[in-house]
Amino acid sequence: MEGGAEMKQFSNRYMLLYSLALVAVSAVVLSVTAVTLKPREERNRQIEQQQMIIKTIGLDCAKNETPQAYERHIAEAEHDGKTYYRYDCDERQGIILPLHGTGLWGPIWGYLALDCDGKVVGAVFDHKGETPGLGGEIATDKFAQRFVGKRMDEHPIYLIKNADKKDPHQVDAISGGTMTSNGVTQMLEEGYNDYIKIREDATK
Amino acid sequence: MRNWKLITMPFDKENPITVQVLGICSCLAVTAQLKPALVMAVSVTVVVALANLIISLLRKSIPPRIRIIVQLVVVSTLVVLVDLFLKAFVYDVSKQLSVFVGLIITNCIVMGRLEAFAMTNPPLPSLCDGIGNGLGYGIILVALGTVRELFGSGTLLGYPVMEKIGAYNIGYENNGLMIMPPMALILVGIIIWIQRSRRSS
Repeated sequence: MEGGAEMKQFSNRYMLLYSLALVAVSAVVLSVTAVTLKPREERNRQIEQQQMIIKTIGLDCAKNETPQAYERHIAEAEHDGKTYYRYDCDERQGIILPLHGTGLWGPIWGYLALDCDGKVVGAVFDHKGETPGLGGEIATDKFAQRFVGKRMDEHPIYLIKNADKKDPHQVDAISGGTMTSNGVTQMLEEGYNDYIKIREDATK
Repeated sequence: MRNWKLITMPFDKENPITVQVLGICSCLAVTAQLKPALVMAVSVTVVVALANLIISLLRKSIPPRIRIIVQLVVVSTLVVLVDLFLKAFVYDVSKQLSVFVGLIITNCIVMGRLEAFAMTNPPLPSLCDGIGNGLGYGIILVALGTVRELFGSGTLLGYPVMEKIGAYNIGYENNGLMIMPPMALILVGIIIWIQRSRRSS
């Protein structure tokens, strides 16, 4: 303290009003900013989701081109109250399965594009707060590439250490990211169950 | 001139990480790659600078008994603002930093500067002190991020450096330990060691 002026006594009334005023100002500033920036954030979120979805069928678009590409190739569909997607691009058709699960620190999610036989043509994953460099690696293309060519029919795809590259259901897990890898396996299993139901109903 | 010194002192002599050993937690967490380290450095600098400025402006009106609470309110308001701006303008980076932006609130450097400097100094020197300490923290973060990403993943800002110079062809392999948090601690230790041995001579 500088002494003198700073050491003066403040009354309880002053302290109470001071903190109230401070909190009120802070609340106003935050709410105004949050409300003003909300549409931007939501738009970012939506574009990001569309970007992820079209990436599974091999379209890598810049932010501003994403919405058009999405409109052109993707159709939303519903089964049992759950949303999934149908794609139609360059004479390739199939469905895109949305996946939701839990990693080590929070939610993880992804999309899996399958052709008519249940073979994976593309995958993409993302996470809310997995450790960068470890579990966070599921968001990389390198990880997603491991899924291409694997099969989602008969058995769900699962992550395992030192996966057999020839096995159509095994994918290499992430070293240092065991909990996240387990989360991905779990999420693939649930996705598989959805997929089987969607396919059964389609053939009925 | 005095203000300039306030900015440059924390780069080396008064560095918040290597000398005061503050802000270690986030420095271990966000430096596995360079890009989050950079954004974190900028975010912390903005928060410390503005918090220092605001607290310094208010310093005569803040009752000492509730000063920590007042500081916390100011800091958390700023951090939430930074978080909102990151989400609106650099969405992908904000996702990479995830929880660590929120954790700036608990970064000891911020509270430390408020208590040690802004509470007793005029606004301009406080602003300079904040910028200096934010950058001093940033320098270490960027150094760690560079070394860890380069040797741990073989990339820099996502660009495959090691692949491009053909290191893998002559048998080089990425060091997995580099991307683990303990390695950041070891690297900080090495930086501190170099810094101290240089200064004592």
